[in-house]
Amino acid sequence: MTSSGGIAIDGVSMQFNGSQGARALDGIDLRISAGEFVAIVGPSGCGKSTLLRIVGGLLEPTSGHVNVGGKTSSQARRDVEFGFVFQQPTLFPWLRVLGNVLLPDRVLGRRNPNNGPNSKDIARELLRDVGLEGFEDHYPAQISGGMQQRVALARALSYGPNILLMDEPFGALDEFTRDRLNLQLLEVCNKTGSTVLFVTHSIQEAIFLADRVVMLSPRPGRITRIAEVPFPKPRTLEIRYEPEFGALAGELRGLLEGDDDVELALNGP
Amino acid sequence: MRIIRKRSRVIDVLLRVLPSVAIFALCLVAWELWVNIRDVPAYLYPSPSDIGRELRDEGLALAVDDLRWTMIEAVLGFLLGSAVALCTAVVFVHAKFLERVFFPWAIVLQTVPIVAVAPLLTIWFGFTLTPKVLIAALICFFPVLVNASKGLRSISSQAVELMSILSASKWSLFWRVRIPSSLPYIFAGLKVASTLSVIGAIVAEFTGADRGIGFVIIQASYRLDTRLMFAGIALSSAAGVVFFNIIGALERLALRWPDARLER
Ligand SMILES: Nc1ncnc2c1ncn2[C@@H]1O[C@H](COP(=O)(O)OP(=O)(O)OP(=O)(O)O)[C@@H](O)[C@H]1O
Ligand SMILES: [Mg+2]
Repeated sequence: MTSSGGIAIDGVSMQFNGSQGARALDGIDLRISAGEFVAIVGPSGCGKSTLLRIVGGLLEPTSGHVNVGGKTSSQARRDVEFGFVFQQPTLFPWLRVLGNVLLPDRVLGRRNPNNGPNSKDIARELLRDVGLEGFEDHYPAQISGGMQQRVALARALSYGPNILLMDEPFGALDEFTRDRLNLQLLEVCNKTGSTVLFVTHSIQEAIFLADRVVMLSPRPGRITRIAEVPFPKPRTLEIRYEPEFGALAGELRGLLEGDDDVELALNGP
Repeated sequence: MRIIRKRSRVIDVLLRVLPSVAIFALCLVAWELWVNIRDVPAYLYPSPSDIGRELRDEGLALAVDDLRWTMIEAVLGFLLGSAVALCTAVVFVHAKFLERVFFPWAIVLQTVPIVAVAPLLTIWFGFTLTPKVLIAALICFFPVLVNASKGLRSISSQAVELMSILSASKWSLFWRVRIPSSLPYIFAGLKVASTLSVIGAIVAEFTGADRGIGFVIIQASYRLDTRLMFAGIALSSAAGVVFFNIIGALERLALRWPDARLER
């Protein structure tokens, strides 16, 4: 049983295109409580995006099920419980930056809790938070990939979803901007109490952000380790220099390397 | 400051059209020289200056009495054919089954030679506007259908997923995503159709009309009046170019985001 915002993943497996197809996930069991921040790390192609899609009710697993606060994931999706930041920014090229952030408001109308005369102000504020003040009237084609990714983040936050599903949202950012956005994200989550499922390739980022880090094996993805992160929140960037942080990062990296050297060489740490 | 920028924009436009105008002028000069040097019979090969005189003397009358009707037929046919094609494309995108049943027939419709259909329609509808509009519509239908279908399908699966995360209705997906992302394709199809529609109207006029540029050309050919034929050709293609550019201007108005237009 999960309370609102909690997620229970039970024996979820995914097999694409019938029995000969790619097996992406194998028997995933995971319980995420409301307000928890869980990071998912694993080699490329192990099924991280697939897992996020299944949780978000965009994809039916071949077996197993997902329970989101007492509902099936597709029910939860229909009730707009999720915010999703896709691996690609997925902005509409015909809308300006501000228009893209306002898209959920336009689509949801009164179903958006932030809907009202000041929804534009909320969107502007979010854009300022992700460091895009002054770019409201640019078209997506006129800003960089990292900036597009930040617009997508602002869009996902704009309607205050209970659960944030984020697929490598900061992959295209420089270290400095990434640090700033990591802090901002923690602050937002602290304020809203959102549950977060966060996919990343960076072990450092996973440990810095998450309450728990879930390690997946190469395809088909299986959970190889769930690590509790011992640092209390709110956190500062300095915790990355503490020996405990380094030790945990080293341990997790060792797990990844044990999995597959080639994948790691291709994707970096 | 602003004046300087304006003027440079005018010069920009001039520089852009200059090469194609120059090539055209060069061809006219070569043609004129060839007619004069070879001393060919003028009733077979009128020189550009002959045609120019013809246009000067008859152009206005031709435009008012005939070109006007040809363009009315072309524009009405364009509107009819494009509207039907757009509706068909929308139906096809939402009902795969109907597309499987009807798309082969859309291809058949396209391969039917309109020169053969035009006399039939004239027999059925007489020397009225109807057969011309129908032929123009027929010729516009296919390019708009193909482009619109492609455009309506051009949305990424992630855009669909995004709308799905927002629990958007099919209606919302259609108006907010499918329509805007199909507009560049639809305009590409409309531009092709705009030029074809004039051809369709003229071909229909060949098979039975008492006015219109097609009527003028056919009548002139019986009299070996090649000057008038050329004048008709020049006028109708000029009108086609204007029509094409009007659609192009509408396209520029509708597609304001960067890299929206498929070709320029
Ligand atoms: N729609 C699909 N049809 C068939 N196979 C798919 C589909 N989507 C994903 N797969 C397969 O499932 C596996 C997992 O894909 P997924 O995108 O979840 O990986 P990932 O862990 O997100 O990788 P990355 O870190 O590179 O983004 C891949 O091997 C892929 O080939
Ligand atoms: Mg992925």
